[in-house]
Amino acid sequence: MTADRVAAVAGLLAQVAARGQENLAEHEAKQVLAAYGFPLTREILVTSREDVGPAAAAIGYPVALKASSPDIPHKSEQGLVRLGLTDEPAALEAYAAVAPALAGRSGGVLVQEMITGRRELAMGLVRDPDFGPCVMFGLGGIFTEILADAVFRRAPLEPADAHDMMEESRSRRILEAVRGMPPADRGTLAEMLMSLGQIGLDHRAVAEIDLNPVILAGPRPVVADALIVLRGG
Amino acid sequence: MAETDFERIFHPRRMAIVGVSSEGGYGFANGMLLACRAMGFAGEILPVNPKGGSFAGQTIFRSLEEIPGDIDFAVIAVPAPAVPEALEACRRKGAAGAEVLTAGFGETGTPEGRGLEQEIREIAARGIRVVGPNCFGIYCPASGLTLLPGPDLSREPGPVAFLSQSGGMSIDLAHLGGWMGLRFSKVISFGNGADLREAELLRYLTDDPETGVIAMYVEGVADGGDFFQAIREAARRKPVVVLKGGLSEAGGRAVVGHTASMGGSRAIWSGVLRQVNAARVESLEELAQACLAFSYLPARVFRGISAVGGGGALGAAASDAAEAYGIRVPEFSADLRTRIEAILPQPGSSAANPIDVANPFVPPALLGRVLRLAAEDGRVDLQVLISLLYHYKSQARAMGVGVADITPHAELAETVATAAADSGKPVVMVLPDLKRGPEDLDLAEMMARAREEFTGRGIPVFGAIGEALRAIGHVSAYYGRRLLGEES
Repeated sequence: MTADRVAAVAGLLAQVAARGQENLAEHEAKQVLAAYGFPLTREILVTSREDVGPAAAAIGYPVALKASSPDIPHKSEQGLVRLGLTDEPAALEAYAAVAPALAGRSGGVLVQEMITGRRELAMGLVRDPDFGPCVMFGLGGIFTEILADAVFRRAPLEPADAHDMMEESRSRRILEAVRGMPPADRGTLAEMLMSLGQIGLDHRAVAEIDLNPVILAGPRPVVADALIVLRGG
Repeated sequence: MAETDFERIFHPRRMAIVGVSSEGGYGFANGMLLACRAMGFAGEILPVNPKGGSFAGQTIFRSLEEIPGDIDFAVIAVPAPAVPEALEACRRKGAAGAEVLTAGFGETGTPEGRGLEQEIREIAARGIRVVGPNCFGIYCPASGLTLLPGPDLSREPGPVAFLSQSGGMSIDLAHLGGWMGLRFSKVISFGNGADLREAELLRYLTDDPETGVIAMYVEGVADGGDFFQAIREAARRKPVVVLKGGLSEAGGRAVVGHTASMGGSRAIWSGVLRQVNAARVESLEELAQACLAFSYLPARVFRGISAVGGGGALGAAASDAAEAYGIRVPEFSADLRTRIEAILPQPGSSAANPIDVANPFVPPALLGRVLRLAAEDGRVDLQVLISLLYHYKSQARAMGVGVADITPHAELAETVATAAADSGKPVVMVLPDLKRGPEDLDLAEMMARAREEFTGRGIPVFGAIGEALRAIGHVSAYYGRRLLGEES
């Protein structure tokens, strides 16, 4: 199982690298994450206007539409993420706005489940020149960098390391039961952090991973957006 | 490679110093010879220089080969191009190790410098361990080996070891620690670390029975993974205190993702040091203070303290500082409070905890009784006594006597040490030293002697409340997290 998983992801990464991509598109990154058991949004990749309605109906409204291309690593900064689309006309309008950015690029438009939750976290992976793959945990959304709330641990992480990251982070209080929201499922969060480290150890081709936001749907963390950057050369 | 004989490196019986000049001067080799003699180095010192002659009453051997018998260790301070040959000669003389003080190797960034350092590495691999090059050497109080230029370091050994890439940091800590009451097992300035460096030295110190606390100054590591394993294992056995130099906020490299943009060396090192349960400090002073607390305090978690001082603001400052490190200052019961207040000067005192003893001239015996009473509270694990001894200068001046004549520091030290021993709850002293002008040199001397009275009785002394609580916080955090790690 584990060996199969590593081989499957290595194969995917090799294909992507062979196409000359520097990054994985969101839908590709999520295939990697799915192999490692991450909780993900339900989503369907479409490449034509006709597919938008059926895909959105299958996911169930409201939906999000996003440009998913390896050439656009920071799509929300470019206005290529449309959230909270409640019916087909809204979805088609969003498609019309997002799709032109994909002209001449690989990828497509992701029709994605909207995760309801007011708490957003971030996690990721970086390769440090001294310590190799290191896992990050912190506050998500647009505040990740502004508040610089990010703590790091070297991979591999023990369960105690993952739990201590949450304890050390200034975001730990939003993991508690606050304002009528239930306490976050720290067990699942810990497994996600450990899996990020494992991806870094299993796949030298992976340079960086950003999972931001990871939204807490009630207690349950769900990866709403993902970026995987490959190592050059 | 044969196992390294660290005993012959740190406690050599026969030591060559290569590069001693008969023309005198205070070059590295001559300086080291004089410094080791001043330290009372117990072994035999064998100076070497191809020109021969004599220095400071000792005949200089023309070559290492001329020395009869084997040597244990060597100090090499010849010009960089001559170092490989001297090192090889030491190896053939049976030396277990050598320290190379000379600079001009890899740190220059030139092909010549790098080439010479590679030669050192190759000779070392054939069977001699090298400290340096570009370093200040080894200080080992037990044997009398000393750093450059350290003829006046303490010969009293103790539990603190210090590993440093920087020679300046090594000699600074040796001097700073000297008057603070730190006692060292080994201080090793390893410079460029061509052969012996952080990970291997950490492993040696982890097993070294003479070392109880390991401190280190590190700029870069040769192998992050190996260092990680070594420091994690070390911190499972002994407290490890780390000062990291050259940290940056940004990664300093081209990155795409947000994670990497926040993963500068400061954030990564901070996380890694917490992961291995090493104490991270921000300055050499904080490093020394943490080492003082680790070496003087018992291996415990201090959850609650009492804070005793003459003046309400001192107590408030102590409470604020304690809170920052997760340490409580529990309010005493009405009963205990009444019993303490009954013996304190009135009005102006208060014993709710923090305890305000009203003025800085409360007699030591009375302070001792306060400490004993406060120790009765089960939530108090440690006591902090803030004493403004410097006020005695004003009193002495008014009385027309010397400050040392009227300050009861020795009596206070004895009383505090006895109260700590009897109650089983350690006392940490804070002796603020706020009058430091040239007109107060008599006070400076008294304060230095007062510190000695306390440290000589095993009571650690800090200059400021915040520094004391920060150091106590390091001890508590370390043992608390170590306990958690052992349970899981």
